[in-house]
Amino acid sequence: MALQAAARPDDLPLTKRLGRTLRYNLPAILLFFGVLIVWELVASILNLRQFILPRPSAIGTALVAEWATLQKAASNTLFEALGGLGIGVVIGVVVAFAVARWAKAREAILPVAIGISAIPIIAVAPIMSNWFGITNPMAKMAVVVLLVFFPIMINVARGLSEVDARAIELMRANAASEGQILRKLRLPNALPYFFTGLKVATTLCLIGAVVAEYFGGSSDVLGRVIVQSSSRLRFDITWSAIVVTAVAGITFYLLVVVVERLVIPWHSSLRLLES
Amino acid sequence: MTGRSVGRQALTVVLFLVAVLVIWEGVKLLGGDPWRFQDASGQEIVYQPPFEWEVAGDRALPHVWTIWNALAAPVQRQQTESLGAFLVGAALYTGREAVLGFIAGAVLGVILAALFVHSKLAERAFVPYVVASQTIPILALAPLIAFAFGNGVVGIVIVATYLTFFPVTIAALRGLSASDPRAMELMRACAASKWAIFWKLRFPSSLPYLFSALKIAATASIVGAIVGEGNPGGSQFGLGRSILNFNEQYGSGPEKLWAAILAASLLGIVFFLAVRLVEHVVLRGRPKADVG
Repeated sequence: MALQAAARPDDLPLTKRLGRTLRYNLPAILLFFGVLIVWELVASILNLRQFILPRPSAIGTALVAEWATLQKAASNTLFEALGGLGIGVVIGVVVAFAVARWAKAREAILPVAIGISAIPIIAVAPIMSNWFGITNPMAKMAVVVLLVFFPIMINVARGLSEVDARAIELMRANAASEGQILRKLRLPNALPYFFTGLKVATTLCLIGAVVAEYFGGSSDVLGRVIVQSSSRLRFDITWSAIVVTAVAGITFYLLVVVVERLVIPWHSSLRLLES
Repeated sequence: MTGRSVGRQALTVVLFLVAVLVIWEGVKLLGGDPWRFQDASGQEIVYQPPFEWEVAGDRALPHVWTIWNALAAPVQRQQTESLGAFLVGAALYTGREAVLGFIAGAVLGVILAALFVHSKLAERAFVPYVVASQTIPILALAPLIAFAFGNGVVGIVIVATYLTFFPVTIAALRGLSASDPRAMELMRACAASKWAIFWKLRFPSSLPYLFSALKIAATASIVGAIVGEGNPGGSQFGLGRSILNFNEQYGSGPEKLWAAILAASLLGIVFFLAVRLVEHVVLRGRPKADVG
């Protein structure tokens, strides 16, 4: 959102645009530091026990002290999340193309697919652990694939099919082939939808991986670090693991936003709040 | 929605279920464990599938009828309650938590959106965190919430609320700012109060956006309830707890876990359809808006 607001005058030099972005986001930045300071002060004045709410400084200390563990856990979890995201996106896009190809099939299948996506997929995590082996990262990846599949498939299928009928007529009238209509009309039309789905999917992939880890498995992953440290009442470690996960999640999300802006700069106004 | 398209969708659902069953049993027919039946005279008939795939074995993928029969069998040895009745009870328990979280999340979402729509400063300060809150695996906070609020329903409802409010906030923010600018000008020209503009114009015109988010939120609230229950120090009851318990007993009865997962899936779909039904009633007569 902030990026879009700053982006409108594209002719401005980069430094000016950065300045605008910064000024636009100033309230959010101030809020962040304000909350941190109040949190730290309240925790130290009330002398809260650290297992209720560890201070930001304690979390920072734990982050540094446990960095080796956290780094290893994060790399394992990211492998599951990104692997699942990649596979899920590929399958989702392929199925979306197949579904969008036949209008009759699409009308019947899309609502049903939306209904099926109402299944709490996280519930199948134990089954995947049994199929792939509980310590196999594929088990977590499979959960992520299932989670990611629906938003991608549904969005891309809609993007490929909900094309301006007049544009199609115009292309047909000019003897465009179906292949040309796909390349020049349907694909560009589907890109914004794809990115909307991808933004949902990138947030889901980390959530999916971490939650699937709750249901058991190898211990060098963020989900297990969170569960085990909180059962030992070491909430400073729990929070530092949450910080690592959050930073990874926000980074992925921003990466998608940046790629989106590079790929479809022509579509920025519509996406104001589609995240 | 016309009767014909409902009929076609129902047909698709049936076809889909049949396809799942055929693939399920087809895989077992090709590579599962030996199939054993009793014929009329009590003689055992054994069918030996040509291949042996681990993933098609009775442990990894029980027969559909094994799961079906397990529903009538007692949930544990020396108990009279059947698995089916137990799962219905668990689903109602989880459903209640999910509905509470859903309502709380929807109200919170609309309130936040109303705040953001009226204050640009609040929007600039808070919306980045509303978005960021969802890139954090919220569920990572579930053990902390369960710890802070004890084993009761409250902690679980909070997890469900946390997952629910995000799609509602974002969609309501879009919807509340998407009212017809001419109607807005008219109301302003007539010196309508912000309150009147909100309830007579902004809110009604945000409903299509709101409902498309509520359908997503319905699923999210159930995921929240299940995960909230599954936490150490979560709940003793409900589907999330059953899934964890039956997961531990997977070796002796994989069909129980499958039945619990099917119950969770059904709960999710029923809740989704319920929201869709309400949407259909509330938005009847409106032209179908494209709201994503």
